[in-house]
Amino acid sequence: MLTYRKSTFASHLTTALTIVLALIWLMPLIFSILMSFRPPAEPVNQGNIFIGSEITLENYADAWAVAPWAGHYLNSIIFVLGTLAVQVFTITMAGYAFARMKFFGRDMLLILMLLQLMIPTGVLVVQNFATMRNLNLFDTHWALMMPYWGSAFGVLLMRQTFRGIPLELEEAARIDGANWLQIMRYVVVPLSIPAYVSFAIISISSHWNEYLWPAIVTRAEEVRPLTVGLNRLYQTSEVGALYGQLMAGTLFVIAPLMILFILFQRRFIESFINTGLK
Amino acid sequence: MIRHKQTLGATLVALLMLVAVSVMAQDKIVVDFYYPTAVDGPIDEIIAKYEADFEAMHPEIDVVPAYTGSYTQTRDTIRTEIAAEDVIVDVAVMLATDLTSFVEDESIVPAQQFIDAMDTADAFTAGFFPAFLANSADEDGMIWSVPFQRSTPILYYNADLFAEAGIAVPTNNEELIAAAQALQTEDRAGLLLPVAGTFPTWLYQSFAAAYGQPIVEASPAEVFFNTPESLAAVEFITKLGMAEADGGFAVGPMGGSAWGDTPTAFTSGQAAMIYHTTGSLTSILNNATFEVGVAFLPSGPAGETGTGYGAPTGGGNLYIFAAAAPEVQEAAWLWVEYLASDTVQSDWGANTGYIAATVGAWDVEPLKTLVTEKPQYLVARDQLEFAVKEFDSYRSIDVQGIINTALSSIISGNVPLSEAQATLDAAQVQIDSLLAEYK
Repeated sequence: MLTYRKSTFASHLTTALTIVLALIWLMPLIFSILMSFRPPAEPVNQGNIFIGSEITLENYADAWAVAPWAGHYLNSIIFVLGTLAVQVFTITMAGYAFARMKFFGRDMLLILMLLQLMIPTGVLVVQNFATMRNLNLFDTHWALMMPYWGSAFGVLLMRQTFRGIPLELEEAARIDGANWLQIMRYVVVPLSIPAYVSFAIISISSHWNEYLWPAIVTRAEEVRPLTVGLNRLYQTSEVGALYGQLMAGTLFVIAPLMILFILFQRRFIESFINTGLK
Repeated sequence: MIRHKQTLGATLVALLMLVAVSVMAQDKIVVDFYYPTAVDGPIDEIIAKYEADFEAMHPEIDVVPAYTGSYTQTRDTIRTEIAAEDVIVDVAVMLATDLTSFVEDESIVPAQQFIDAMDTADAFTAGFFPAFLANSADEDGMIWSVPFQRSTPILYYNADLFAEAGIAVPTNNEELIAAAQALQTEDRAGLLLPVAGTFPTWLYQSFAAAYGQPIVEASPAEVFFNTPESLAAVEFITKLGMAEADGGFAVGPMGGSAWGDTPTAFTSGQAAMIYHTTGSLTSILNNATFEVGVAFLPSGPAGETGTGYGAPTGGGNLYIFAAAAPEVQEAAWLWVEYLASDTVQSDWGANTGYIAATVGAWDVEPLKTLVTEKPQYLVARDQLEFAVKEFDSYRSIDVQGIINTALSSIISGNVPLSEAQATLDAAQVQIDSLLAEYK
């Protein structure tokens, strides 16, 4: 804050720049919202430049009729929460093992695991598909979640976080008679909450937006997530682009995440700053 | 250990029983059907209606439809299953132009074997518009796929503008330019040709045909891209957007218009004429506030024998997969036969805007009534007489990529027309080297 007071010019400049940048980042969202309320089949340069000749909910009604959205919402929620719940467990365990325990081949194992980060997920689609078929889980919620239950990124994140916790805290707890589970429950995990929040945000937003894997491993609308529903609006090559409908559908898909972000904005930003993630 | 073995044994027995029970429960033949969509609207409901109707006629069959995204996504999903050697799909709608690649890797079975087994084999084949079968047959005339959701490009024109100006609807390329120049104003293009972007090949094919040499003929091992006819076609398309000072016609934007925006531009009066697919006819008729006219794509010189008319076909056909068990293939064929029937084609065409693929479908309700109200559909149908095979070749995805790149570079003006022939030649060399092993 001190630097701002020194020079009002610099502070005004910073504010102006921030506003411009924020507007640039907001553009797609503003465009989507405006387009979704315009009458369908009206070109952008007709009527009022922002709202068209009238404001209508027609696009929302049309988009809603195209796919079983309510079911898709439920499936997306099951998919991201089911994935996250197991991930939190596995990354805590593995992260702690890599951070605190000494065993033969630990560093080698860590490097092997990190190598995974370099493999693009698309490469594994055929193998994962075959695995799900063999496990008889094809076309179920389990098949959606299972490939993501381990997370190399998450393990690395938790390992670094746990290493940052002073060993003395754990030792003190042990002297007070806490067993390992209690140490985790009352010392290690509570001190790592910001890291968990960051991980949750990244995990939820990436799986919420996932298309390829759900499309490959599910066939029934009863288990498919939102992205597959949105895809229907996007694939209208025979009739030309239906921007209004497409934008309305896009807003259906992003609304829950957007509301979450607005509600927990401060928390989100804090956790990113705390973990040094950008 | 012994106890563990017993548990394992018990589990195995239980599992086996479970499998046996589930097999017994599945006395119906299950047919997995994949379909993409390329039009808007509640396609699922329409398919579900057909499914119920079909299963009422064939109670022993259980059709399981699954929406699989775009044509490309559908192909990718099926390719994934084939790569994993675990093919779930039994019958699917895929692009008519996917034929060569799927024949080549032997993942589909020819429809011909089922047609031959029919009592009405000849009538079945003759029932389709020949243009729609052009992409179904291989070089030897064997039919592999059955037309289902098909389309073709046509000329849409603002009939009110033509009437006001007292201009006749263009029937050839010269009249097309004259009309476009007469009708264009400051904020209205004379003609929008949606060739901008990454896929100019489709409409280019209609010009190549109109100039007398379609891009492909019967053989999938031969592509005609650097011919004089092809050059003339590319020059014509490019000149539509070029300034008159540079020798162009200046009736639309340089590089053409964007595919998705063109129908909206037309219905809102920003273009006097457009080229677009029949698939958008329904929405154009619904959205336009003026009288919409539909005509054949204007003709080119066409050499000595041709009519000069020409348009490719588009859309998807039904394919049956080789990995399905014989009795499942038989059941899948019954479903294909049902979807290709006059009744279903009539209903499908009227509800989606695709051109019904059988001749008989046009004499059946609801299409029969629809065309009396909206005779524009008949123009699209009648143009099929002059339609040509759509681009398909060996290595079709790679070849099409080469063609798209070459066309885009010329049409957009990045490569001057003086170097167009050289660009086509270079592309032809690339194509021929890809196709060399098939000749």
